[in-house]
Amino acid sequence: MRQSKFLVIFIAFSLSGCITSRIEDARENVTGLNDGQSVVIMAKSYHQGNETEGDYLTCIEKALGAGSKGISVVPHQKFIDNLFPWFEPRTAPADTKGLPALMDRPGVKDAVRDMGVRYVVWLDGDTERVAEGGSLSCAAGPGGGGCFGFAWWQNDADYEAAVWDLDANESAGTVSADVSGTSFLPALVIPIPLIARTQTRACKGLAQQLRAFIVQ
Amino acid sequence: MEMPTIPEPRMEKIGVDVAVRIPVEFEHFVHVEQVLGKDTWTIDLGRSNAAFFTQLFGHMFDSVIVLGPDDDPRDHQFDALIEPSIDGFEFSTPGQSQSEAFAVWIRYRMSVFDSVGNRASSWTVNAYGKSQQEELGGSESLKRAAVLAMRDAAALIIMQMERATNISQLANGPLQPASTESDAMLAGAEQESEEPASVIGIFAIGGIDDAAE
Repeated sequence: MRQSKFLVIFIAFSLSGCITSRIEDARENVTGLNDGQSVVIMAKSYHQGNETEGDYLTCIEKALGAGSKGISVVPHQKFIDNLFPWFEPRTAPADTKGLPALMDRPGVKDAVRDMGVRYVVWLDGDTERVAEGGSLSCAAGPGGGGCFGFAWWQNDADYEAAVWDLDANESAGTVSADVSGTSFLPALVIPIPLIARTQTRACKGLAQQLRAFIVQ
Repeated sequence: MEMPTIPEPRMEKIGVDVAVRIPVEFEHFVHVEQVLGKDTWTIDLGRSNAAFFTQLFGHMFDSVIVLGPDDDPRDHQFDALIEPSIDGFEFSTPGQSQSEAFAVWIRYRMSVFDSVGNRASSWTVNAYGKSQQEELGGSESLKRAAVLAMRDAAALIIMQMERATNISQLANGPLQPASTESDAMLAGAEQESEEPASVIGIFAIGGIDDAAE
């Protein structure tokens, strides 16, 4: 009995919900990363209505830097603090037109050079639950407990990364990830979660495409 | 709790020697508010505001003297005296905004006087900070939003103070010969204190429902 429960749990973690994803990029200029150069990942400002999750930004940072082909990533808070107050949510440049004036401010160009930052990647978008349904009931008593029913939900993760080249003071292009995942939770005494890790898939997909885009 | 720190800004210092007078109510700012009839949030900025402005002005100006409520400005040498105060404070919780974020609005007022006590300018700074709840508890998220609001205020002050107040002109001397207005400076923030001060603390202590979180 214990073995069959373990088997059910093992199968549940092995399975996942349904996911569809689309990753695209639009190149505007030549890119490339030399030795000693880095990128920084930033979330577009909430002053512009953006709601990119902090843990998604952290996921992208880790994914870009991981592995043998990882690229050098400067932590975003370090970048913001070193360039205070020019990359705060209110003051960060909204487009590349403001970059030349920003780089002319006292100390900014030196700080960027010292950190070795070549590209700034601005993340925009978020993950939202767009649909859900079904019902699930759980009960427990002295003799035991269990759940019965079926629930499902669909999450959409829609993100765009705008890549700015600080050497050329211009946009290098954009990379986008649009991932939709449906999770299921059937329960016959024991719930068997079939979770679509939508945001995680969007993170890995976007990071992979970003690495290819930047390194070329 | 740690005091919020302002990174050293990338800017040229303004060539003015300033004195900063921190009003008592500014240094002990506590805001208590009942949200939606059930949660009670108590936000105590404590000395964070005082430390924040002292740090900020130390980065912005050639020199800074911090005056206590009982100090006589006539005993000190400076070009301009700045007296910050809080005109208003508001915050919203995820339950109120139907989102997953805490938001804080702080309205600061910068009163600038010349070296003999004439009021040079009075400038309002509206700051905003927002923090997603995510893994942070309610209190931590609200605290982070307040810290971001203070950083927002710092950025605004750094970028706009000279344009809004012409404070660098005070390095050339007082605006006009000493006048009766100098008594207002010596008396401290009494005139300013007639306005109710709202208190906000970065150290957010959550209410009933926050404990349940």
